[in-house]
Amino acid sequence: MHLAHEVLIEAAPEALWRLLWDVPRMAACVPGCGEAEEVTRHQTYRARMTQKVGPISLSVPLVVEILAAEPPGRLVLSASGRDPVVGTDIAMRVTLDCAPDGAGTRLHIGAEGQVLGKLGALGHSVIQRKAEEAMDEFGRRLARAARS
Amino acid sequence: MLRPFALYRPTTLPEIAALLRKYGDEAALYAGGTELLLLMKEGLVRPRVLVDLKRVAGLGELAASDGAVNIGATVQHRTVERSVVVGAHCPLVAGVARHVANARVRAAGTVGGNLAFADPHSDLATLFLVFDARVSLWSGDGEREVPLDEFVRGPYETVRRDDEVLTAVRLRPAASGGAGAYLKFGVYERPTLGVAVVLVLDAQRRRVSEARLALGCIGPRPQRLSHLEQRLRGMLVDELAAGRADLTGSGMDAISAATDLHGSADYKLEMAQVFTRRALRVAAARATHQVIDARYPYTVVV
Amino acid sequence: MPGIPTPSLSSITLTVNGQRVALEVPTHVLLLDVLRDRLDLKGAKRSCDMQVCGACTVLVDGTPVSACSYLAVEADSREVLTVEGLGTPDALHPLQQAFVDHGAVQCGFCTSGMLLSAKALLDEQPRPTEADVLHHLRGNLCRCTGYRKIVDAILACAAGSATAA
Repeated sequence: MHLAHEVLIEAAPEALWRLLWDVPRMAACVPGCGEAEEVTRHQTYRARMTQKVGPISLSVPLVVEILAAEPPGRLVLSASGRDPVVGTDIAMRVTLDCAPDGAGTRLHIGAEGQVLGKLGALGHSVIQRKAEEAMDEFGRRLARAARS
Repeated sequence: MLRPFALYRPTTLPEIAALLRKYGDEAALYAGGTELLLLMKEGLVRPRVLVDLKRVAGLGELAASDGAVNIGATVQHRTVERSVVVGAHCPLVAGVARHVANARVRAAGTVGGNLAFADPHSDLATLFLVFDARVSLWSGDGEREVPLDEFVRGPYETVRRDDEVLTAVRLRPAASGGAGAYLKFGVYERPTLGVAVVLVLDAQRRRVSEARLALGCIGPRPQRLSHLEQRLRGMLVDELAAGRADLTGSGMDAISAATDLHGSADYKLEMAQVFTRRALRVAAARATHQVIDARYPYTVVV
Repeated sequence: MPGIPTPSLSSITLTVNGQRVALEVPTHVLLLDVLRDRLDLKGAKRSCDMQVCGACTVLVDGTPVSACSYLAVEADSREVLTVEGLGTPDALHPLQQAFVDHGAVQCGFCTSGMLLSAKALLDEQPRPTEADVLHHLRGNLCRCTGYRKIVDAILACAAGSATAA
């Protein structure tokens, strides 16, 4: 599964980076993502991803690892976990690239990975659609959070 | 094996509302169970309460009034298939109901359950679009009617709130003189592509005066092909019957399709054009009482 | 564990192969398990477990049903027919005899489902066309025979019944 999204944030790259680097606060901008907590600062975090696909509820305890951090431009992280109730594994690699754009920042979000198991069997298109919606909303919430 | 649950069998809608209020998302509405029990076996949904709709009077009715056909939510596909009312007003619906899944699923599965589950591969959800279908939703707070087009939002997703019950669907067949066809293509248990068409001819019976087209299975939800419908207006029906429908500029390449087990997005878009042309050919031939050979591999022609 | 409901037991009375049976079953038990485990009727098989293959087909009030996906409590006050009720080794049902005569049985796994689906068809349509038979058997899968002999057997049985006493 590949996703890409771009959003213009009304904040300088350094200001946006402060938000992104505050990983629990950044995670709170991901729809369905909650209970974010730090395990090892700037290295490992935990969170829980909750989503509904039709009548099916997904709840995945995620381990988030920071793979690369190049302030104020680039953040790469991995998020993975398993929902044993629904028998589904998620493994994603997310890249956040910040580039100055006028007075603001152009944020490019890239995500790739897979959803395996029973929910994956529902069809790639269903998962892709959900993920794209989540990514759009993530961009919107980040933009709002960066302005405040 | 299913996980244990309590089964309630109310006989009125207010009782259902009370049960849904009491149990919230621990409860699941149940009629034929053809999708629900499968999900429960997989552990994908784990309701602790099932609310059986089959004993609620009124949900199982099938009647015509004012040119519209009302199908209650708990009416089984098999009943639709054999219904004299459906056969008289919209025989295409009876024909498509005859080909839903298999005989056992048709005996148990319901129209309401099918629409409420919103499987992107549903034949009925595609077909009903060309009958301007409207879905009735009842809750303790009131009733509303939603066009089917708006009711289905995406794969397995509808606008039905958790406290609402889908009670019926209303179909409005086209004015008399319309001819229709439904083509369903695929090799798997669920179809890969479904095309529904209804054509109404002008008074001279030479040109199309109204066209209704719906495409299902390949995108996140079934959709009416309104651009193509407009282009078809005025077209010579003999051209369509000869398979010479010109689909360029009809917006068919803008349809959303996703690559999955049924095929690549490109393949699906190409097949959408192929089968739309074929469906138009069948409908046009029927409208002009021509006999044509409409046999295509792995395709059910209704 | 908190919150797990006590399985609610239901008393049901059904007729199975002509015999009245009274049972106490939890609401979540499937008809297939009642038939196979409680009543020792092993003819219906669990195969796909999702209503696709037809190996679990039984007739409830004459209508074909996937026993793997049919709650036992739904059979209360109804008549269930399994392959064991179709005929006996000494007195085969005409359909069973036709299957034997036409070599329509190989491993036998699909056979009970095929027979009962065919019976439901012939009870409603005594003289089906080949297209009718193929349509009606769409939900019954066979991995062995290639279907030809099954269809021939059913058509022969239908034709034979016109001359049967």
